[in-house]
Amino acid sequence: MIPIRCFTCGALIGDKWEEFKRRVDSGENPAKVLDDMGITRYCCRRMLLSHVELIDEVLDYAKFFGREEAANV
Amino acid sequence: MEVKILELDEKHARFILSHSNTAFANALRRTMISEVPSMAIDEVFIYENTSVLNDEVIASRLGLIPLKTDLDAYVPADECECKSELGCPKCRTLAILDVEAKERTTVYSGDLKFEDPEVKPVSDKIPLVKLEAGQRLKLEAYARLGRGRQHAKWQPVSVSAYKYMPDIKVNTRTCDGCGACVEACPKNVLELTGGKVKVARLLDCTLCMECVKACPLEEPAITVTGSNDTFIFLVESTGCLPVSRIILEAAKILEKKVSEFEEKIKASGVVEA
Repeated sequence: MIPIRCFTCGALIGDKWEEFKRRVDSGENPAKVLDDMGITRYCCRRMLLSHVELIDEVLDYAKFFGREEAANV
Repeated sequence: MEVKILELDEKHARFILSHSNTAFANALRRTMISEVPSMAIDEVFIYENTSVLNDEVIASRLGLIPLKTDLDAYVPADECECKSELGCPKCRTLAILDVEAKERTTVYSGDLKFEDPEVKPVSDKIPLVKLEAGQRLKLEAYARLGRGRQHAKWQPVSVSAYKYMPDIKVNTRTCDGCGACVEACPKNVLELTGGKVKVARLLDCTLCMECVKACPLEEPAITVTGSNDTFIFLVESTGCLPVSRIILEAAKILEKKVSEFEEKIKASGVVEA
């Protein structure tokens, strides 16, 4: 999951990830998207630029440790 | 002391503080960071969590959500009369989150239901966790007023900084207008007009001295110094409070602290009143 705040300055960046991802995936230049979204400092920019969303890969295995089984452990 | 506002909106402020000193400028900066109270989730009771993130990670993420703060309606928990561990309606507010996924869903900050409609997340689109079908997250969270000195989640500002007002002087007698300093400036502060170096954007100067180093003369024709009594402030709010309120609140807190200090000194009898 994307961190909620920038590690360095503490500005909110979590809510900007989905728009950033969608626009970059559709072929826009990441630098332009960041400028457009008002993320000017390089500390906040690296938060989005360097983020790798891994939770979907973990969730693919979630059916093996579903709710019922987890409750019985 | 004088304040000249350059830019001011809900989230950003840029102003010049003049006829002051470093001690005061720094005290103001630090007060904004660590003394101005704001709201953040502080205690979380998790009833059910079958998500892939563990309880502590979710609690940490909840705590970091900036909340719109009503400073007049709440008192900081350590100053509240109730003195109870869980707090009272004057010093805390409750939020409930209950999401059961039917398909793969993202839980957002907007799914949190706050008891007090005045307190709400700055943005409703902050992803908290992703759930697979059948997973459930049910919890109760308490938000309190706190201060940045206790935990960074209570810091109302993401930027609170100042720099010295630059003073750039060009010696017109020795300067031959070669333009080396204009080229060297990374912030594009200088301009060359009619063979003369002109300071075009003084406030952009970061006192890096590249222009002085670039001057080919034995004794550089350009000098850059920082003023000791004028400061350019930049403040950016996380969204929990309007930035103007943060600055005013910081000034009030500073004033209170100084008068407390004065009283204590007088009471100690070391200095005659």
